[in-house]
Amino acid sequence: MDFKDYYKTLGVASTASADEIKRAYRKLARKYHPDVSKEPDAEARFKDVAEANEALCDVERRAAYDTIADDHRSGRSSGPGSHQNGSRRGGQPFSPPPGWDSGFEFSGSGSDGESDHSDFFESLFGRRAAGGDGAQPRAARARPGGDHHAKIRIDLVEAWRGGTRSVSLRAPVADAQGHVLMQERQLEVNIPKGVRNGQHLRLAGQGSAGTGDAPAGDLFLEIEIAPHARFRLDGRDLFVDLLLAPWEAALGATVQLALPDGSVELTVPPNAKPGRQLRLKGKGLPGTPPGDAYAVLVLALPATDSPEAQQAWRTLAEGYPDFNPRAATAG
Amino acid sequence: MTSTSATPTPAAPAPGAALSAQIDFEFSLLTLGRASRAARTDLLAWIDEGVLTPVAPSTGDAATWRFGADSLARAQAARRLADDLAINAAGVALVLDLLDHIAELQARLRHASGG
Repeated sequence: MDFKDYYKTLGVASTASADEIKRAYRKLARKYHPDVSKEPDAEARFKDVAEANEALCDVERRAAYDTIADDHRSGRSSGPGSHQNGSRRGGQPFSPPPGWDSGFEFSGSGSDGESDHSDFFESLFGRRAAGGDGAQPRAARARPGGDHHAKIRIDLVEAWRGGTRSVSLRAPVADAQGHVLMQERQLEVNIPKGVRNGQHLRLAGQGSAGTGDAPAGDLFLEIEIAPHARFRLDGRDLFVDLLLAPWEAALGATVQLALPDGSVELTVPPNAKPGRQLRLKGKGLPGTPPGDAYAVLVLALPATDSPEAQQAWRTLAEGYPDFNPRAATAG
Repeated sequence: MTSTSATPTPAAPAPGAALSAQIDFEFSLLTLGRASRAARTDLLAWIDEGVLTPVAPSTGDAATWRFGADSLARAQAARRLADDLAINAAGVALVLDLLDHIAELQARLRHASGG
């Protein structure tokens, strides 16, 4: 387990005031929040920033952390492989020295207990009590079961056609003593035809069982459609590159285009410009109404690797003595 | 098995039987709150701001309101923004509107440059 430098994560000095820490956190939280951020590793960075804030915004926790951080900086941390030269980083294994937290009391003002902290954080501040929503039984009161949520990744063709899918779900479950175990279950699910990216499916009654006569909760599956090498899905609309030889674009052509559920024949009109989109109505994701498909015209040039090929192009060039594609940009 | 404080596992479906997933389900205010883990007061504030709109009816007794399946993703996004970034209801509405607008602009950009 590696030491985590929470001050560095927030970009503040270890002597920063509570206000400075809060400001730094708020700014970074906005920057890396997965809903608004375009940064590549936004989710991981947001978690780091949130955890750093949790450790440092609470006076007790910050004091406890500072003790550890000081020790770590001066190379006094115990555990295998610790160095005496005070080096701070470089995968140095970390474990809290025995008795470090004597005298610190954590009042544990928790959030809703669904946070997943790093091992480092948990080794310092402990795991939150399991069973976030009502760990203590309320005798004989009928409570509906909680809902479960999971994300499943399907490929584009599956989204088109629907089908049966085996879904593996892992959920933390508390036993009668309150120990948390990961429980795995397997479900066979019928994925309907034409599901969109981000859409939720509901499996009624597959959440937690209710107590007494109350109904079980539901299982919600969020659909994630994996990116495809050739097809791009935008909502219900499909975009696919249609590669054409230069003469096909110039003279027009009838071509076959492969789509997720079979191919279509389409006619490219003569004088077609690269980048133009030919709309294939109703050939997008199935639904009511179905989306559309767009064939995006892309020119493919043959390799010019023989004297005959070069001559063919020169002849073509001679047929267009006045063509200057850079005329508009000439100084 | 008698239920205690443990979280009991749901009954396993019969072997070989695939479960049908629904896509056109609806939520009440109560079930939307449960599924999205948003408090009722938050949901009502977001509804006032137009973040979520009941499909029908949209006035009168809140207990009769029904929300479409797409409301779940929207309510979850609203809750994340409210919880993680401490944004109030009006702010959440503005952020989600802007995100929709950005998505639309990005789609138009992709269309313009040839998909």
